[in-house]
Amino acid sequence: MKLYYFSEMPHHEFADGAGDAYPSLRLAFPNAHFSPEKATANYRRYLDEYQLADEVGYHGLMVNEHHSTPSCVNVSANMTAGILGRITRRAKILILGNILPIQDNPVRMAEEIAMADLISGGRVLSGFVRGVGVESWWANVNPVHNRERFEECHDLILKCWTTPGPFRWEGRHYHFRHVNPWCLPLQKPHPPIWVPGTASPETAIWAGRLGYTYVPFLVPVDIARELFDYYRQGAAEVGRAVTDDNLGFLVCSVTADTQAAALEAGRHFVWRMGPTLRGPAEFFSPVGMQSSAGRRFALKKQPVPLASQSYEDLVKGDFVIAGTPDYVADRFAHLRQALGIGHLLLEAQESRMDHPTTMRSIELMGQKVSPAIEDQ
Amino acid sequence: MSKEPREEMIAVGGTRVHTLIGGEGAPLVVLHGAGGNRGWRRWMARLADHFTIYAPTHPGFGASDAANWMEGIEDLARFYLWFVDTVGLERAHVLGHSIGGWTAAEMAVSAPRVIDRLVLVAPVGLKPERGEILDVFYHSPAELTRLTVHDPKSIPEWEDLYGQTPTPAQAEIAIRNREMAARLTWRPYMHNPRLSHFLPRASMPTLVIWGREDRIVPVVCGEQYCRLLPRATLRVLDGCGHLPPIERPDAFAALVADFLATPSTASRSQR
Repeated sequence: MKLYYFSEMPHHEFADGAGDAYPSLRLAFPNAHFSPEKATANYRRYLDEYQLADEVGYHGLMVNEHHSTPSCVNVSANMTAGILGRITRRAKILILGNILPIQDNPVRMAEEIAMADLISGGRVLSGFVRGVGVESWWANVNPVHNRERFEECHDLILKCWTTPGPFRWEGRHYHFRHVNPWCLPLQKPHPPIWVPGTASPETAIWAGRLGYTYVPFLVPVDIARELFDYYRQGAAEVGRAVTDDNLGFLVCSVTADTQAAALEAGRHFVWRMGPTLRGPAEFFSPVGMQSSAGRRFALKKQPVPLASQSYEDLVKGDFVIAGTPDYVADRFAHLRQALGIGHLLLEAQESRMDHPTTMRSIELMGQKVSPAIEDQ
Repeated sequence: MSKEPREEMIAVGGTRVHTLIGGEGAPLVVLHGAGGNRGWRRWMARLADHFTIYAPTHPGFGASDAANWMEGIEDLARFYLWFVDTVGLERAHVLGHSIGGWTAAEMAVSAPRVIDRLVLVAPVGLKPERGEILDVFYHSPAELTRLTVHDPKSIPEWEDLYGQTPTPAQAEIAIRNREMAARLTWRPYMHNPRLSHFLPRASMPTLVIWGREDRIVPVVCGEQYCRLLPRATLRVLDGCGHLPPIERPDAFAALVADFLATPSTASRSQR
């Protein structure tokens, strides 16, 4: 099983409670609380941590993108991927991912991902996501078109990578008369494509049909299994076999020299599960974003919201895996066994987890955990 | 003819719209707001003595067919001009509330000869000169109900409209209504920047009705409509929010009846 290092590049640089007067830390929390000076230092620090993860042997470095939220100030996954492409040497660069429905220019998106692939020498894994609702508000893109735009944007990016230009694209949501990008990926026919999921059967089936690597994010193991079943259903429709290389899973994880130190560091993940996910349903799932099938799936499963779980519950449920290298290696092996996955994505820094703690965790994961699970 | 309406599914092109038809007299087409078709209400029964009311449920709402191909209110306006043809009306009075009012205004500027008299009830469609149209999709349905009306206790049909917990089927329809409203009005939000340039074309007599306590669409929009429409009058109802037909049904019906009672050239051919 392969390990991936991931930081959301948080900006938790304001007093606790400062956001309590607002409906949510997303969209509504004033950016007067953003500190450019602290962000300057943080971006450098976060990039140093990615560099170390590359050096100690993580298989991949994952980056993502959000907007209008202190939980993630990585506002351009492709820009970060380009930087990592130049400052790291070995690890895959997993962009998970670009938020396709909010893009107005998929051709530019195809060019940016291609450029990151070229700068990195062909190390990009290109993830495509529908985004949480906050991003639809941020971009003011109609959420009722979310899935249609996701699929059309995907189709046009793929065509940019695989069909010689110039050509014309006249779709429902995208219209380009002269498509001829002079920047194409190094990997052929194109970088591998990954897709995350939390609750949408349609996305799992779609990814299964197309053979993309599918990764449930922070869901209970039984829900991940059910989503993988939908993935297999899609794969079966086109007669494709599913291997562990098609399946991944994302958890929060930190390790330290002692169990107590790791458990203390793991508490920083609570901010990510609680305060940064607080807010009206309309922010996270605006009208039209969720299909009736998605609503039925959510109603049937009704997982306990992450925001309402205690730290102890999060640890017990393996949403947060914090412990010595032996402990986390054991839990990772359990997940591998339970889900049949080939990729484990570790959200490995959060909130105010400090630089020394993060660096030590990265070091131990690379030196002790990764070798212990790589043959599993 | 009975005041009780009959229900029909009327096919306009390939899209069937669920329509309530009731009353007797000159034709009056009633276009509902983003909350959906609230059925045959008290104010409609009052008008049914003198008018034949056609109250369709917009495509994508309620029991009407989907129309996911629509992109905005201009599409809905063109659809309803076709509806008027399909029903066999040469001319009709048109009354629209909120997004239905915006639709009626777009119909009026596109085909002014089709509309005899126009009633716009708290219509969106114009960007307010002062203030903002409330972002209805940013609020939960429960919050929105609270913000939409001025005083629930003064609403005679409150219990009938809002007193019961929705059944699963009703809840699914509410989601469907909200999704179609978003499809039609998301961006530019609840207005057409070009509409103001066309409104002077709509020279039919027009009554614009607003609730003084409207927290959804600022009353200033009513003043803007009256400034741009050549023959419009604004009437503002006290103690009333965004739903004048529901909150002040008798005063509302009286205003509309008086306005429409002026000698009319509206006519109706046989279907």
